[in-house]
Amino acid sequence: MKKLKLYSIAFFLLIFFSACTDLLDVEPTTSISNQVALSSEENVKKLLIGIYEIDGNSNSHGGYIQIFSDLLGSDDQVAWNGTFAEPREALTKTMNANNFLIDAIWKNLYRTINQCNIVLDNSAIIKNKAEREKAEGEARFLRAFSYFELIRFFGTNTKGIPLRLTSVKDFGSDLSIKRNSTDEVYVAIQDDINKAITLLPASNEFYADKYVATALSARVNLYLGKYAEARTAAHNVITNSKRTLASSFAEAFNNDENGDEDIFAMQVTSQSGFNQLISMYASQENGGRGGDISLTNAFYTIFDDPKDGRALFNYKNKKGQILTSKYTNQFGNVPVIRLAEMVLIRAECNRRLNTSIGNDPLIDINNIRQRSGASKLVSVTIENILAERRRELAFEGFAIYDIKRTGASVKGLPSTSPKLVMPIPRSELDANKLMEQNEGY
Amino acid sequence: MDSTLYLFGIGRLLKPKLFFFSFYILFCSMSGYTQWTLKGSITDKVGLPLIGASVFDTDHADIGTITDLDGNFSVELGNDTKSITVSYTGFNTVQISVTKSTREIIVVLEEASTILNEVMIIGYGSTSKKMISDNVAKLTSKDLSNIAVSNFQSALSGKAAGVRINQTNGKVDGGINIRIRGTSSISAGSEPLYVLDGMPLINVNESNNGAPMNPLLSLSPSEIESIDILKDASSAAIYGARAANGVVLITTKKGKAGKTNVSLNISSGVSSPTNLVRWLNASEYKELFTEAAINTLGKDDGIKEAESNFDFLSNGTDWKNNNIGTTWNDIAFRDGSQSDVDLSVSGGDDKTQYYFGGAINKTKGILLGNDLQKLSARLNIRHNLNTKFSAGMNIGISKTTIDRVDNDNSFTSPLQSIAQSPLAPAYNEDGSPNGNTLYPNFLLEDLHANYITNLRRVTGKVFAEYKFLKNIKFNSDLGYDLSTQTEDQYRGTKTPFMSTNGFAFNSNATSENYIWSNYFTFIKELGKGSSLNLVAGQEFNNSDRIFNSVTGIQFPSDDFQSISSAAEITAGKGENVRYNFLSYFSRASFNIKDKYIFKASIRRDGSSRFGINQRYGIFPSLSAAWILSEETFLKNNSSLSFLKIRGSYGQLGNSEIGNFASRTLYNGSSYNKVAGITLIQPGNNDLTWEKSNQLDIGVDFGLFKDRIFGEIDFYSKNTNGLLFSVPLPGSSGQSLINKNVGALNSKGVELVLNTRNITRDDLKWNTSFNLAKNNNKITDLPNNSADIIRPTNIDRVGYPVASLYLVEFAGADPNNGDALFYTNGKGSETTADFSQAKRVVAGNPQPVWISGLTNEFSYKGLSLSFTFVGEWGASIFNGAGRFQSASADYFDNQTADQLNRWQKPGDITLVPQARLYGANGTQNSTRYLEKVDFIRLRNIMLSYDIPSSILKRAGVGNARVYLSGVNLLTFTDYTGYDPESRLDESGFGFNNGFNFYSAPQAKTTSLGINVNF
Repeated sequence: MKKLKLYSIAFFLLIFFSACTDLLDVEPTTSISNQVALSSEENVKKLLIGIYEIDGNSNSHGGYIQIFSDLLGSDDQVAWNGTFAEPREALTKTMNANNFLIDAIWKNLYRTINQCNIVLDNSAIIKNKAEREKAEGEARFLRAFSYFELIRFFGTNTKGIPLRLTSVKDFGSDLSIKRNSTDEVYVAIQDDINKAITLLPASNEFYADKYVATALSARVNLYLGKYAEARTAAHNVITNSKRTLASSFAEAFNNDENGDEDIFAMQVTSQSGFNQLISMYASQENGGRGGDISLTNAFYTIFDDPKDGRALFNYKNKKGQILTSKYTNQFGNVPVIRLAEMVLIRAECNRRLNTSIGNDPLIDINNIRQRSGASKLVSVTIENILAERRRELAFEGFAIYDIKRTGASVKGLPSTSPKLVMPIPRSELDANKLMEQNEGY
Repeated sequence: MDSTLYLFGIGRLLKPKLFFFSFYILFCSMSGYTQWTLKGSITDKVGLPLIGASVFDTDHADIGTITDLDGNFSVELGNDTKSITVSYTGFNTVQISVTKSTREIIVVLEEASTILNEVMIIGYGSTSKKMISDNVAKLTSKDLSNIAVSNFQSALSGKAAGVRINQTNGKVDGGINIRIRGTSSISAGSEPLYVLDGMPLINVNESNNGAPMNPLLSLSPSEIESIDILKDASSAAIYGARAANGVVLITTKKGKAGKTNVSLNISSGVSSPTNLVRWLNASEYKELFTEAAINTLGKDDGIKEAESNFDFLSNGTDWKNNNIGTTWNDIAFRDGSQSDVDLSVSGGDDKTQYYFGGAINKTKGILLGNDLQKLSARLNIRHNLNTKFSAGMNIGISKTTIDRVDNDNSFTSPLQSIAQSPLAPAYNEDGSPNGNTLYPNFLLEDLHANYITNLRRVTGKVFAEYKFLKNIKFNSDLGYDLSTQTEDQYRGTKTPFMSTNGFAFNSNATSENYIWSNYFTFIKELGKGSSLNLVAGQEFNNSDRIFNSVTGIQFPSDDFQSISSAAEITAGKGENVRYNFLSYFSRASFNIKDKYIFKASIRRDGSSRFGINQRYGIFPSLSAAWILSEETFLKNNSSLSFLKIRGSYGQLGNSEIGNFASRTLYNGSSYNKVAGITLIQPGNNDLTWEKSNQLDIGVDFGLFKDRIFGEIDFYSKNTNGLLFSVPLPGSSGQSLINKNVGALNSKGVELVLNTRNITRDDLKWNTSFNLAKNNNKITDLPNNSADIIRPTNIDRVGYPVASLYLVEFAGADPNNGDALFYTNGKGSETTADFSQAKRVVAGNPQPVWISGLTNEFSYKGLSLSFTFVGEWGASIFNGAGRFQSASADYFDNQTADQLNRWQKPGDITLVPQARLYGANGTQNSTRYLEKVDFIRLRNIMLSYDIPSSILKRAGVGNARVYLSGVNLLTFTDYTGYDPESRLDESGFGFNNGFNFYSAPQAKTTSLGINVNF
């Protein structure tokens, strides 16, 4: 009996104490690992699509980049009615390093860049040459675009922002990095754009194609005052990109799919993408917060013809505030580069260089005016063209950049005022030992 | 197999020679020494068997035995035996004369002291208050019953030293935060492990509306027999890798052999907010905002600006004559109510014991639109097949339905309506909510939207116990926990921000957990009050979580609210997550002469949550106690009736960091309906448990026959390898990485004092007091101890976790009314330029001192008990201050203190000049930081036992009527709504001392009757 009892104890011991340890190998089901993500051609191509998704979210071209540019570049043409203090700081030119939206813009642009770098570091896995070049071209375009936004928001004439041109492999290491000079950053941007133009096909659905990259080249060169290069690029896009001006001003906006005029637009559907411009510019009925940003009477003073359809392209919300009609389709795409901008760039550069490549600047400007029912001009000056840009491109993210590149002033501040340069976010300064704050913060 | 080897490891630790040697002693003594046999049983006064009681020949200490698990014994005595000595921990020892003709006796022992005799549940076993060498706080059903709260945790508040229990805010479904000995983690979970009848409970917040919900809401307080809180490392170490935040062991009610007992309890009460903040009324509002507009825009433009806004806000009513003066406090809050009914039946015989019961709770919250209804039932049954084998099953089921309101950071949360202007009517003339308010009117949401959460839960366990030998038993428990939560949200066409003709969201989160524990227990009585108790076992825990959700828009009309009617489905989710734990544990307690107690335990845990190289952790502990009062030099001391010193040391783990925190993860994403892949988390293969080492030294003492009984504990808890979401420079492309870096120290003192002040038969007065101090300090941080800063909080070496980090506010400039700030903390120079002012550590989000005081009086049939709780040392930053106490910066209604604004040169005040759109001091500064010290009457109960003479005629055993109150009184200098309320939006975290339109707690008064048949 005694032995039997002891045997049965031992038996239970054996059964219950020898469970298998492989029960602890549990793999996630909704995510994949580094090895899996980078080991197949299919996955690297999908990482490329992932870049557009990051770039299109609210913190980048889904809205905040445009919103902050316009608020920072606004005197009193708009009012901020929203509860967030952070966008108001841009309007009142009192930004500070704790502004969490500026922090989010900074982080998301670099997140876009890192994913571009991942694709570029691993693109060799794509066997088909044309497909590989297309992927590299798109990644270079998206990287250049993000660096261009960063340098314009956070850089000064000399101090740039950190350049990372390869992906971070070990996030556990010290990731402190110095600011590159502004020149170095622009060299990298131009290099990416030029390579992208070579690598990209002439058409590429709603993704970046050769002319999207060329249009960015026009925008960058205009900003740098390289008018001949800007004019050539803009002219190239107007002639060859197969985009045409929409027949009416209204048709250029709120499109579910890219319109005739869209060179590049962030894609929004009810299921993916995010339109932050809707949130802040639209009424509640149109899917917004009710009209965080409304137009003031001063807005109308930029128009020279009361019949100009662009002056009337707005509506009232319940509070009686005037809201722009550019953003009324909650699930509509966000236009990022329109053909009208290229026409304006060509006109401005022709005017500045006293040339008429493609078209006489007067004709280009009148084409734009005519579409919105504004009277034709008989002659055109640089000031006319800059004013035309304000009428045509209002609320599309151009305001502060036009002020900075033309040396204009806003709210009494000269274009070189440190108050018009965004602060390096506090979180970056806290975690990056080599980072240097901008003047005045 | 490494597991087998490991077992030998345990064996060696527990002295295997002794283990097997003792068997032999036992058997030899049984076979070789017989003269005659005495059988019997030993019970307590109510007939419960006493297990492991000693029966020895008074003159021959080597002749004797201990009672088995039914309290029976059989001992072979010699011819010269005259008497036996029967002893049992916590009971008075007796000597009984026997002769050879005595064949069978029943011994009834009397309890020596109720306090010392209390059974302490310690995980895979139990012990007594007297013999415990660890720090465990015990609460019984008496502490929990008849308190009008909708969750069992709130009833514990103030009852255990060093245990802080707090509901996030006054919503009925509000998250519960329990901190045992302060916070011992920064990024990982800080909630304790809950174990129900030996089974770790699922405690995952599955809320999708942004505010956490209490997952244990469904457990009815009336089912609970006792709660044991394992506070020190030695007691908790048996739960190893999950015990670093302490362990809450819940034991449900069981039937007892004897007469069937039927108990019915009915109560009903009303509730209201503990406190309301005063806001500007309509005329004050007009005055302040007109002045503010003039200050910013000049007289003419200012008046114009103010009046045009008043025109809009008043929505066509005559604001000039104060036609409307809406008190939004009255719109957001309402009178709540609470009703409870519970019925239970328990009883059994020596073969089978049962308990079953059901409870209904219906709570109408103090916030408009916030309701809860709960049904629960439980059946616990145990059957003894024979003297060796017993088995049973516990099962609890419940369904909870909650009508939820939005999280605190949502415009449509009721309490955000306090931002509305008093000039704005709440309703239109036709009774519909006014849609033209400064911010969306939450009444539209209340009327046209709903968010219904259903929580269904089954917790069950089958268990078997087999006694191989008198002293060795084997337990196998198979537990199962199923938690299913569904959420049904519909937002109608008339809700604020509606642009899609209706919106619906449905979710279904199912978590299930099964756990299989197998363990041996060996008890050996070594004579003269010495004994050895060994436990060794293994446990496997599997947890699966399945989550599905779907979102739809475009409904035909508000008459169609189910998602099937949505014309467009815009989002869907399907996830399946799993984690496993595989554990081995062992514990040995050695008691020498009832004076010296030694205990050691060890647990080895493996978890799928960690990197392949770091999967296993070993968590050992040791404790010892010396009962000095058993020593001869103290034994007959007339005043000191009990004295024990004890010490413990052990290591615990914290694994609450999510299931895949160590991996580099890429998720699927979507761009224009095309699938993409996005890097979402940088990985760290070396990620492992947080390890927490805790030292505890304590003294238990009893004075004057234990009429005064106290405990004093000192502890120091060092957590190393903190699981940390380390901020990365944003320029790297990622913002956070999980690492084991950093260390944290919590030092504290706890005092418990229980006194029986008056013990007359007809008049009794007992007092229970506890006081705890916890000093929490970060000792190491990643990146060479670089500060980790979130907007208003900082983790800095030498300071408490998440200290509030703000610019010090210096009041209004007496010359011009500008808001002034100290450039570098209090006492430094002041500046009106906020960007010139440095942030400083300005407050601790956690209290340093917490205390509870309970008094119980009874006089004949009348009794009164009440509990006060207090907290000192915490601060709260009011994140909404920049809107609501903002010198009339925007048209939000302002707190009444804004009337004390600076108006003319020479005014000395803390409220800067009112400036519309002027942002005069609205930045994050200590202007919005306040100390939240408070003392609160947590609960009070007055009850009357109806005399049995009356009851007999009605056939009732006993009956009691009671009046009970919760949170009836609060003493505080805090000017906000409630010193215990915090922001409930998950992103900010309760630990950060942040308040944002957070609802005050409810105060409830209820009347009830309790009848036993």
